[in-house]
Amino acid sequence: MAPLFGLPAAGVVALLLYLPFLWTTYVSFTQYDGLASPVWSGLANYKAMFSDPDLTGALVNTLLWVVGMVTLPVALGLLIAVLTYGHKWGTWLRLPFLLPYAISGVAVGVIWGFVLQPDGALGQALGFFGLPGAHTGWLQGGPGNTLMMIVAVTWQAAGVNALLFVVGLQSIPGEPLEAARLDGAEGFSLFRHHLWPQLRPITTVVIGLSIVGSLKTFDVVWVMTQGGPGTSSETLALSMYKETFVLNDYGQGAAIALFLSLVTFAASILYLRYQLGDAREQG
Amino acid sequence: MSRVKTAFLMVLGLIWLAPVYLLVVNASKSVDGYDAKTVWKPAGFSLFSNFGDAWSKAALGDTLVATTMYSVIAPVLAVLIGSAAGYAIVVLRLKRGFLWFVFIFGGTIFPLQMILMPLFSGYADSGLYDTRVGMIIVYTAISVPFSAFVMRNFFTGIARSVFEAAVVDGGGLFRIFRSIYLPMAGSALAAIFILQATFVWNDLLLGLTLSQSDSVRPIMPALTGLQSTYGGASLPTVLAGGLLVSLPTVILFLAAQRFFSRGLALGQF
Repeated sequence: MAPLFGLPAAGVVALLLYLPFLWTTYVSFTQYDGLASPVWSGLANYKAMFSDPDLTGALVNTLLWVVGMVTLPVALGLLIAVLTYGHKWGTWLRLPFLLPYAISGVAVGVIWGFVLQPDGALGQALGFFGLPGAHTGWLQGGPGNTLMMIVAVTWQAAGVNALLFVVGLQSIPGEPLEAARLDGAEGFSLFRHHLWPQLRPITTVVIGLSIVGSLKTFDVVWVMTQGGPGTSSETLALSMYKETFVLNDYGQGAAIALFLSLVTFAASILYLRYQLGDAREQG
Repeated sequence: MSRVKTAFLMVLGLIWLAPVYLLVVNASKSVDGYDAKTVWKPAGFSLFSNFGDAWSKAALGDTLVATTMYSVIAPVLAVLIGSAAGYAIVVLRLKRGFLWFVFIFGGTIFPLQMILMPLFSGYADSGLYDTRVGMIIVYTAISVPFSAFVMRNFFTGIARSVFEAAVVDGGGLFRIFRSIYLPMAGSALAAIFILQATFVWNDLLLGLTLSQSDSVRPIMPALTGLQSTYGGASLPTVLAGGLLVSLPTVILFLAAQRFFSRGLALGQF
């Protein structure tokens, strides 16, 4: 009787997630245009990924995204969390940073595409304060366009990371902290020696989620530059879509997808170990 | 020190709100009154006629109806299917329950890119491509693993004696699930529903891949279409569209912030 309750979930996951997963894995080792039968080609698609200049460019951009997303939004999130935690108006002061999180990637792309127009909002603001760069075409060349889009996503993601860090801070027992305070620890030293070590688990989760999220970067780039000009701001997630649905090179798209999945999986282990470890103790 | 902290946070907060300010101010300008050189200055208030333009010209009306359907039906189905799985694993002590759990939860580890192409081919072959039913099915499937994950954890926290008492009272397994376990899980169900509804509403990639007509295509792909069809001249319309599609999730988020933080505590969003 019990399996009956588990079957719908397992069935739908098997049919719509695992089965496609297996098919993509197979297709990644073939030449396939979606019409004729796939023809086995071994590792050819994978080799192309590391030799085709467009794809290596996307690889570098994806790497930029990973590095950008594990530094900027994580550091800012931590800063916001530590400064607002225990603050009288903490919840309210955090709100401006959380607001962008409720907005979709597409809307973030629309907003920042507007802000970053040549001589647009950012340019006019820089000009107003007499700063250089007022006439920069922010999105008109790599790697600058990727960096600016990382800024856009930082705008969206910092608040979420702050919230996660606040959850982490809440789980730290108060008494040892009080004792440390009485001993005269305060400010940065209190943070470094008493808070930071206890934030390790949540930091692992935040960094794991950031890596996984950055590998999937698609929406913002799709809206703001479509990967262009040329392929200068393409990420692997975008290349996968273009190879498959624009160029009909299903095999190449599949190889990119599998590569992304493997890296995502490795990064997920970082935080899943922590989560499932928890679950196992309970179950 | 505390005053410096507060001032710093307020300045940073204002910088964070600047793009939102720009969005609202420029989405409110009439198409003729918009001047690319003075985007920081408010000018007039034509927000609602811009909403109307976005609604009719881009056929956002149709797509809003469809997307609302997806964002309600798929999460409801996922919540039910996921809690049934959690119930089987935890309460009914399904044999090799942990393996079942890992199998179901494992469905979320890989990126969407991994399933797009086969879904597209499979949908094309089976007639599900560009249908509302097809969209609901795929959104449900994507939402099930997270739902099962949360419900498994939730049911773990309920005392075994509840189940034993219900069995002694002579309830069938389905009745115990429906009239005892589901009602107890109200807040967890709501949390999952809200998070998944937001996910569905904000989805771009699945909608882009599995649909094309105005009446099926979800709102986010429709919005990207709006952006590319219109040039710089009617930027206010595009921005109004961006604002319009963001309102539901922003309101939901503000109204249910604690659910979001709970979801975050579970390391998922």
